Amino acid sequence: MKISWRIWVLMFALAFSAVAILNISSSYSFLVGVLILSIPFTLTFSKSKTTKIILLSLTVVVLVPIVFFSFQKGVVITSVNSDSVYFAEGLRKGIVITAINGNNIDNVEDYINHLPQTSESQKKIELQTSQGNFIFLTNKTPDIVVSNIPKTNLKTGLDLSGGARAILKPVNATLSQNDIDDLVSVTSNRLNTFGISDVDIRSVSDLEGNKFLRVEVAGITQEDLKELVGQQGKFEAKIGNDTVFVSGEKDVTFVCRNDATCAGIETCQQDSSSGGYFCKFRFSISLSPEAAERHARITQNLTLDQTNSQYLSKKLDLYLDDTLVDSLFIGADLRGAVTTQIQISGSGAGATENEAYDDSLDSMKKLQTILITGSLPYKLEIVKLDSSSPILGKEFTKNIITLGIIVFLIVSILIFIRYKRIKITLGVILTMFSEAVIILGIASIISWNLDAPGIAGIIAGIGVGVNDQIVIIEESVSREATTLKQRIKRALFIIIGAFFTIFVAMLPLFWAGAGLLEGFAFTTIIGITAGILITRPAFTEIMRKIQGE
Amino acid sequence: MEENKENIKETKEKTIEQKKKFSFNYDKHYKKLLLIPVIIMLFSLAYLFYFHSQTGEFIIKDISLSGGTTITLTGDFLDQDLQKLEQDLKAEYGDVSFRRLTESTSGKTLTFVIESHANADELKASIEESIGQELTHENSSTEFSDSALSGNFYRQLIIALIISFILMSVVIFFLFRSFVPSLAVIFAAFSDIVMPLALIDYLGIKISAAGIAAFLMLIGYSVDTDILLTTRALKKQEGTVNQRIYGAFKTGIFMTITALAAVLPAFFIITGLPDSFRQIFFILALGLGADIINTWLTNASIIKWYCEKKGIR
Repeated sequence: MKISWRIWVLMFALAFSAVAILNISSSYSFLVGVLILSIPFTLTFSKSKTTKIILLSLTVVVLVPIVFFSFQKGVVITSVNSDSVYFAEGLRKGIVITAINGNNIDNVEDYINHLPQTSESQKKIELQTSQGNFIFLTNKTPDIVVSNIPKTNLKTGLDLSGGARAILKPVNATLSQNDIDDLVSVTSNRLNTFGISDVDIRSVSDLEGNKFLRVEVAGITQEDLKELVGQQGKFEAKIGNDTVFVSGEKDVTFVCRNDATCAGIETCQQDSSSGGYFCKFRFSISLSPEAAERHARITQNLTLDQTNSQYLSKKLDLYLDDTLVDSLFIGADLRGAVTTQIQISGSGAGATENEAYDDSLDSMKKLQTILITGSLPYKLEIVKLDSSSPILGKEFTKNIITLGIIVFLIVSILIFIRYKRIKITLGVILTMFSEAVIILGIASIISWNLDAPGIAGIIAGIGVGVNDQIVIIEESVSREATTLKQRIKRALFIIIGAFFTIFVAMLPLFWAGAGLLEGFAFTTIIGITAGILITRPAFTEIMRKIQGE
Repeated sequence: MEENKENIKETKEKTIEQKKKFSFNYDKHYKKLLLIPVIIMLFSLAYLFYFHSQTGEFIIKDISLSGGTTITLTGDFLDQDLQKLEQDLKAEYGDVSFRRLTESTSGKTLTFVIESHANADELKASIEESIGQELTHENSSTEFSDSALSGNFYRQLIIALIISFILMSVVIFFLFRSFVPSLAVIFAAFSDIVMPLALIDYLGIKISAAGIAAFLMLIGYSVDTDILLTTRALKKQEGTVNQRIYGAFKTGIFMTITALAAVLPAFFIITGLPDSFRQIFFILALGLGADIINTWLTNASIIKWYCEKKGIR
């Protein structure tokens, strides 16, 4: 059987997309690709029908178990505390752990079960990973977060995977693209310093030329995101009206973090009036020589405090976004001294001592982050803040997949009822399936986050495809005197017309609504474009074959 | 055997007769058929303008387009009696509304949605106080939109809708290059938006940003049957105009039926779906329904009229 280039293009697109979607090792990927491409080869070169059937079933029999059993075993590291020994030794996000102390790890459950117990006398953890073996002489739980290895390279949007999103607008300022780029870099630096690595920050503009900053983070609470990106983070340390230093690496050269000798919670106390608790934290920072000079110059003129001569008359006031956070006494011996070491303190509160402790720790971490990363060049206002539950997202994902399968079956049955030809029905099924695989393949390659409207777009895109196929089928099975070629040409006119109307109708969505609906436009446009370039020509070919016989 | 053959012959004759009758009736009455969509359309437009005079808007905007907070409770909250929560919140906020999303297969409540124009922090605090349980990012989803931004979104999406409609019209004119048939398609597309919109307003359903996006898709999606009809009627040489329209109808109605079959299960079989997804499918379903009227009564009648005038046989 001679196979035209149209079928070859379809098979190449299918093989390529399948490999892109599946998260399997490269050798298996290669094998999957080759096996899919062997299908058109078999159809072209085998002579008899029996060999064809035998070879094709053999391909399927080999392909299915490969796809099922080739998924990588182990757990993948999703975050490593950057101050831990694990980070220092080279463990990084993305590395796959396959065994602990010789025990094979297939999933997170195995990982938890095989972690050494703190009670065990043996103080050694040996990790077998994708980047070689690591040995740590400890029996403490590693300072890393792991998760199961995803089976596909597909990424889902916040509404399906859980997380938080903020849309920010600069207050009273129109920003150039450069300013926006600066904002993007400071914001992402701040989130990274805080310990969040899975951040998607983008500048989006709309049809009226407004510019927004869109921040999406998986697995963060709304409150944390609000404080981390909603604050300008303009930190100032003042004595009277004179500024000693501000946040950012120009003035602050070092901030002590995760080191109990120079950072931590000092005391926790119960507040006698309210009954709540509050905890005080402190950490040290190093100032640049210029900032230290400034400190000397300003303190020189101060007198000793009259009630307590240990301290100077004025305090060091710490302001965050123009709000006083804390006031620190300045030791008498620091008067006029060029000091580079400064202690910063603050407090957190809560209903119980534990809550106060956690709140204080959280405040400290945020203040440290701001001191390190400096303030944002512009004040931002949160204009939209969303968070979605990962549990609900999982439920929604499951339901959408089930719905997709049901729709697929209903449409296939309708096609069969209408045309009563198994070959035509199979052709439609193959086309619908190919379109889904190609859209998902493209989404995997460019790491597109598929959200619920995006998946609605995929289903709609495939729906457009089915409509086109119906037009092709009706024209091909028509009993008119005109040639098949002419009729298919007319079908193509209708199809191309329909393609362009949907294409232009969806286009404006890329610029409206801060890009929140671009997923819907994107998947639809990818779907119909893949349809018109790849699957429609192939389906026409299939119909020609079926009608020719 | 003989009898059977007779029967078959009889039925065949019957169908031919019916077809003739259909053709006959259609020739005589097609202009009257045009009245049906025109009346529906006038009714819809009148209702929309009445609605606008009452509310100042053509749609009922949800929180994403008007500003405010949507909090979706899930998980163990749903085991509790939420009546008290409803009462507490109603007492505190005048504009609060509640919705339940139920999974049709199991009958279990999946989410409980609370909407208000209030600020997220306030609403959250009130809910926590009423239930006596903390809202975490696991057991709840929150959506807050600033009213200025939502207004901006709405304006943007309406501009997008207009641009989308204009671009679609340009494509249609380019495809057919004749005035009346193109205008017929464009009018059908316009009706595909207006009729569902009037129904949605009448039913009091709120439209979200995703819903307006669905209208954009509808503009492109619904015209494929019109393109099919116009192409078959004008470009095909075989048969009479009636036969060609009837042929296009058989193809087109099946296209719309399959499309409806693809979107309707989201309301009868699997209902536990995100709001954005449901809204898109809901508007597509209404639009496809309206499209049956607008393609096969409006557009078909205009095309037939046009063919008669132009002497196309």
